[in-house]
Amino acid sequence: MTSTSTRDLVSQPYKYGFVTEIETDKIAKGLSEDVVRLISEKKAEPDFLLQFRLKAFRHWLTLEEPDWAALGYPPIDYQDIVYYAAPKQQEKKASLDEVDPKLLETFDKLGIPLSEQKRLSNVAVDAVFDSVSIATTYKEKLAEHGVVFCSFSEAVKEHPDLIERYLGTVVASNDNYFAALNSAVFSDGSFVFIPKGVECPMELSTYFRINSGDTGQFERTLIVAEEGASVSYLEGCTAPMFDTNQLHAAVVELVALDDASIKYSTVQNWYAGDENGVGGIYNFVTKRGQCRGARSRISWTQVETGSAITWKYPSCVLQGADSVGEFYSVALTNNRQQADTGTKMVHVGPRTRSTIVSKGISAGHSSNSYRGLVQIGPGASGARNYSQCDSMLIGDQAGANTYPYIRSQQPDSAVEHEASTCRISEDQLFYLQSRGIGFEEAVSMMVSGFCRDVFNQLPMEFAAEADKLLALKLEGSVG
Amino acid sequence: MIRPDAELLLDISDLHASVEDQPILKGVNLQVRAGEIHAVMGRNGSGKSTLSKVLAGHPAYRVTGGSVRYRGDDLLTLEPEQRARLGVFLGFQYPVEIPGVSNLEFLRVSTNARRETQGQEELDTFDFEDHVRERLKVVQMDPAFLDRSVNQGFSGGEKKRNEILQMALLEPVVSILDETDSGLDIDALRIVASGVNQLSSPETASILITHYQRLLDEITPDYVHVMAAGRILRTGGRELALELEQIGYDWVDEQLAAEGVV
Amino acid sequence: MVNTVLTPVQKRGQANLERLGLPTRRQEAWRLTDLKRLEAMASLPSVEGSAQHAWPSIHQGVTRFVIGTGVDPLEGVQLPEGVSPLSEAELEQALGHTLDRCGCAETWPVELNHARSQRVLALRVRGSVAPLEIVLAAGGGLVATRVLLLLEEKAELDLFQVIPAERESAAAPLAHSHVIEVHLGQEARLRHGVLASASDDSSLLAHLAVEQEPRSSYDFVSVCRGWRFGRLEPRVLQVDGQATTRLTGLAMTGTDEQFATHTSVCFEGPEGSLDQLQKAVAADRSHSIFNGAIQVPRAAQRTDASQLSRNLLLSNRARVDAKPELEIVADDVRCAHGATVSQLQQDQLFYLRSRGVAADEAAALLLKGYCCDVVDRLPSMAPSWLASAAINDPARPL
Repeated sequence: MTSTSTRDLVSQPYKYGFVTEIETDKIAKGLSEDVVRLISEKKAEPDFLLQFRLKAFRHWLTLEEPDWAALGYPPIDYQDIVYYAAPKQQEKKASLDEVDPKLLETFDKLGIPLSEQKRLSNVAVDAVFDSVSIATTYKEKLAEHGVVFCSFSEAVKEHPDLIERYLGTVVASNDNYFAALNSAVFSDGSFVFIPKGVECPMELSTYFRINSGDTGQFERTLIVAEEGASVSYLEGCTAPMFDTNQLHAAVVELVALDDASIKYSTVQNWYAGDENGVGGIYNFVTKRGQCRGARSRISWTQVETGSAITWKYPSCVLQGADSVGEFYSVALTNNRQQADTGTKMVHVGPRTRSTIVSKGISAGHSSNSYRGLVQIGPGASGARNYSQCDSMLIGDQAGANTYPYIRSQQPDSAVEHEASTCRISEDQLFYLQSRGIGFEEAVSMMVSGFCRDVFNQLPMEFAAEADKLLALKLEGSVG
Repeated sequence: MIRPDAELLLDISDLHASVEDQPILKGVNLQVRAGEIHAVMGRNGSGKSTLSKVLAGHPAYRVTGGSVRYRGDDLLTLEPEQRARLGVFLGFQYPVEIPGVSNLEFLRVSTNARRETQGQEELDTFDFEDHVRERLKVVQMDPAFLDRSVNQGFSGGEKKRNEILQMALLEPVVSILDETDSGLDIDALRIVASGVNQLSSPETASILITHYQRLLDEITPDYVHVMAAGRILRTGGRELALELEQIGYDWVDEQLAAEGVV
Repeated sequence: MVNTVLTPVQKRGQANLERLGLPTRRQEAWRLTDLKRLEAMASLPSVEGSAQHAWPSIHQGVTRFVIGTGVDPLEGVQLPEGVSPLSEAELEQALGHTLDRCGCAETWPVELNHARSQRVLALRVRGSVAPLEIVLAAGGGLVATRVLLLLEEKAELDLFQVIPAERESAAAPLAHSHVIEVHLGQEARLRHGVLASASDDSSLLAHLAVEQEPRSSYDFVSVCRGWRFGRLEPRVLQVDGQATTRLTGLAMTGTDEQFATHTSVCFEGPEGSLDQLQKAVAADRSHSIFNGAIQVPRAAQRTDASQLSRNLLLSNRARVDAKPELEIVADDVRCAHGATVSQLQQDQLFYLRSRGVAADEAAALLLKGYCCDVVDRLPSMAPSWLASAAINDPARPL
C-alpha cells in the first residue's frame, strides 16, 4: 500500500462525548411495579396509561431476553439501571428563554441550536435530554396548520384521546422483550399528529441526548398521519463517552391512514464504545409503521453509525390496498461494534409494494448483519417487493452476514432479492489516486458512492451530514 | 518532434522494480524531452506495463533500484495522486470500474485537484459541466456517459475513450498510454489516436506502450524502444516499428542469449 | 452380510436420538418443519426394500448397485475397473469422518440413520472410472441406507442416485433415511446426480456430506418431487479452498407436501468457488423451503460464490420460504446471491396463448422450460428413469 495508510492516522475522536454537568432528578436504580407506578405518578398520567404500563410490565416479567440475533454481549442487569432521569427544571417552560442555559448550550454544542435566532430554518426540533423533552421549536407555527408536534408527556396531557386511540396499536405492549420493557417504563419521546389533508410545512426532528451514565433511555415516538396527510421526520442521537454500557430501548409507532405518507429518517450516532469495545450504547429498538389506509406510504431511512450494539428492524405492515413500504439503510460498524439490523415488510393488502435497499459497511473487528423478512400474505395479490442488500468489507477482520428471508403465500406476487459483497480494492484506489484524488478522499468517494441510493433518501439538510459522518467514522480503518 | 534543447521531462535511470518479490524491471534507462513521442514495444511479459505502473506509483510494485526524475525532481517518492497533480498521466490498459461513484463527479474532483496544483482556480459544478462538454468532443463521447458510474458497464472502446477524456481534462505533461489500442476496432482506434494527437504539444510528451504497429500508423513516434527481460534492448526511430512488424521478436531471444541473460 | 462396524454406531445413534429428542420449532433449522410428519416418519418400523420390475434396464457400461434390500449390494455386481470396496478396517477409519468435518455428525436426521442403518456401501475410486448408479430400494416402512465414497487424487466419477418410492401396497407409508459421505481428493472430479421421486405418503430424509480437497470439483444436481415430507441436506466443505462446487437443485411440491432443501457450503481456505442455483415449484397446498448457508471465514480470501434461489408459486394456498444465510469475514471475496418468488410469467403465457396454445398446455410448457435447466443436467442415465413407470408421473411429467 502507499505510505499514507490511514490505519496510521489516529481515529477521529467521538466529538459528542462530553457530559453536561446539570442537576438531575433521578429515581433509584432498579425495576419493579413500584418503579413503574412512580414513573407514571411523576408524569401525572391518566389511568389508562398506568394500566398500559402495568400490563406491559407484568408481561415483561414472563419473557426471556432474546438471544437469537447474531450478537454477543454480557447479560444486562436490569436492576442496575435508572429508569427515570430528568434535568431539574420544574415544569416544561413556556418560552425557550426560561430553559436552563446549560441545556441550550449542550444542544448548541451538538449542532442543534434551539434559540430563536440560531434555529435551523424550516426544521422544527424537539430536544430530548435523558428522559424528558426540554424544548420544541416552531410549535406555534405548526399549530397554525393543525399539526401537533410536542413531547410525548405533553401529548398525554393535551391530547389524551389521540394517545389512547393510537398508543400500542402498531407495536403491542407485549410485542417483544424490549418493546414490553419500553411500554412499562418509557419516560418521554415525541408525538406527531398531522390532520387530514395537511402537508406538514416543515421537517420535524427530534434530537435525543443521553447524558447520565447509568440511565436507560426508553423513549416512545408516535406519529399519526390522517387521510391525505404527509410528514417528513428525522431523529438524531448522541451520548457522552462512558466506559459502561447504557441501554436504549425505544419504541416508534407510525400510523398512516388513506393516502397518507410518513417519511422517517434516523441518523444514529450514539457513542459506540472505544476501539477495544469498552462502553457504548446498547441500542435495542422496535420501530414499526402501519400503512393502515389505502395508498398510504411509509418510508424508513436510517444511517446507523453509532452504538456498541444495534438491534433494530424498522418494519412496515402494509395493510391498506396499494400501500407502499420502503426501507433504506446504511449501517456502518467499526472497531468492536455489532449491528444486527434490517426490516420486515409484511404485505397484507392487495397490490402492496415494498423496496428494501440496505448497505452494510464493516470495518475493524466489527460484525454487521442484515436480517430481513419479506412476507407476502395470502391476501396480497399483486404484491411486489424488491430488495437489494450490499455489503462492503474493509479489512479482513470484519464480518458481514446477510439473512434475507422470504415467505410467500401468494402466487400473484413477485419478490426479488439481490445481494452483493464488495470491498474497496487496491486497484480502484490506485485508479482514483492516479487521477490526482487523495487517498482519504478516494475512500470517502467510494463509500459514499456505495451508499448513494440511501443518502438520496435523506432530507437535503442531513444528506451531506451523513456523508461526513461516515467519512469520520471510517478514518483509520482503511489501509 | 525532437529538439535536443527541449526540457528533459522524464529521466529514467537504471530502474529496477519487482512485484511480489519477483524482479520485473532490471535496469531501464529512458529520457523523454518535451515535444517527443516515444513508443515502447515488446512481447507480453517484457516489463512494459510494469514500467507504466511504476511511473504512476502503483502500490503493488516495489522499486528496488535506480531513479526516476520528473522535471528534475524525484518522482518515486511521490504518492500516486501527487504525480497525477503534477502532470504525470497513466492511461490504463484495463480501466477500473468503480460502482456508485459518478463519472462526472470523479472527473470534476480530479480536474480540480490538478488545477489547484497548477495555481488555477477551481471550477464549480456549472463551469465544469461546460468545460467537460467541450472536452468530450476530443473523443467524440456522448454526454450521457458523464452520468454513469466510473467505467461501469462501459464497453472496451468506451473505457479507453474515457481515459483519453481524462487526459484531455487533466492536461498532463507526460502521458503514458498503456496498450490504449488493445481491444479497439479501427474506428475507435482512430478516435482515440486523434484525441492523443490533438492533445500533443511542444511542451508535453507521450509514451505509447503497444504491441502493434497500427497505433503508430495513427500517431507517429519520434523514438521506438524494444523492451525485453525488463530493460530496453534496442532504440530506433519510427522505422524500427515497421521493421518489427516484418521480422517479429525472435531476434530478441538470440540477442538475450548472446548477452547471457536467458 | 451386515457391517459389524455399524454395531457401535447404531448403539450411539439410538442413545443420541433419545438424548436429543425430536427436533422442536424453537430450533432455527426446524422452525418451518412439519414436525408431526417427522415424528410419524421416525415411528415407522425399519424394513428392507425390494427391487422393482418397473426399473429401467441398466445402461451399457454403467454399474448399478441396489441398496436397502437386506442383501449385500456388492453381491453379483462386477465392479468396474478402478472401483474397489473398502475393507472393514478401512471403513472403521473412514466412516463418519466427513460427517464430522461437515459438522453434521450429531444432527437428528443423521442420528436417525445411524440408529437404523444396517449396512454401508463403501467404495474407493481410483482414476477415471465408468459411471455408477445407486438405487435405493423402498419398502412398506422406513428403509435406512448409507453410502461412503472415497475418490482418490485425480479420480473421476459420474454417480447417479435414484430414490424411487414404489410400494407394494398403496396404504403403507414409506420412508427413506439416507446418508452419503463423499471425500474428494485433490483434483478429483465427481458429477453427482440425485433423482428422488415419490408419490402418496412417502418421506425422505437425505443427508449428504462432501469434503473437497484443493482443485477438486463437485457438481451436484438434485431433482426431488412428490414427497409428502422431505428434507434434502447437502453440506459441502472445501477443506483448503481452491475447489469448485456447483449445486443445482429442483424441488417440486404439490398436494399438501412439504419439502425442504437445506444446503450449506463452507470454505476453509482461499480461492474456492461456488455456483448454486436452487429452484422450487410449489403447487396446491404445498410448502417449499429453501435454506442456503454460505460461510466465508477469514482464511477464504478470493472466494467466488454465487447463490440464486428461484421459486415458482403456482397456487394461492401454497407457500414458499427462502432463507439465504451468508456469513462473510474475508474481505477480498465475490459473493453474490439472489432470490425471487413469482408465478409463471403472464406475458409468456399470453404469448403462447396468442399463438393458439391452450392455457393449461402453455402453463405446462413454461413449467417444463423452468425445470429443464436443472433436469437436463442430471447424468445420462436419468432420461430412461424419467421415462420409466418407476418414476414417471403422468399427472406431473418432468
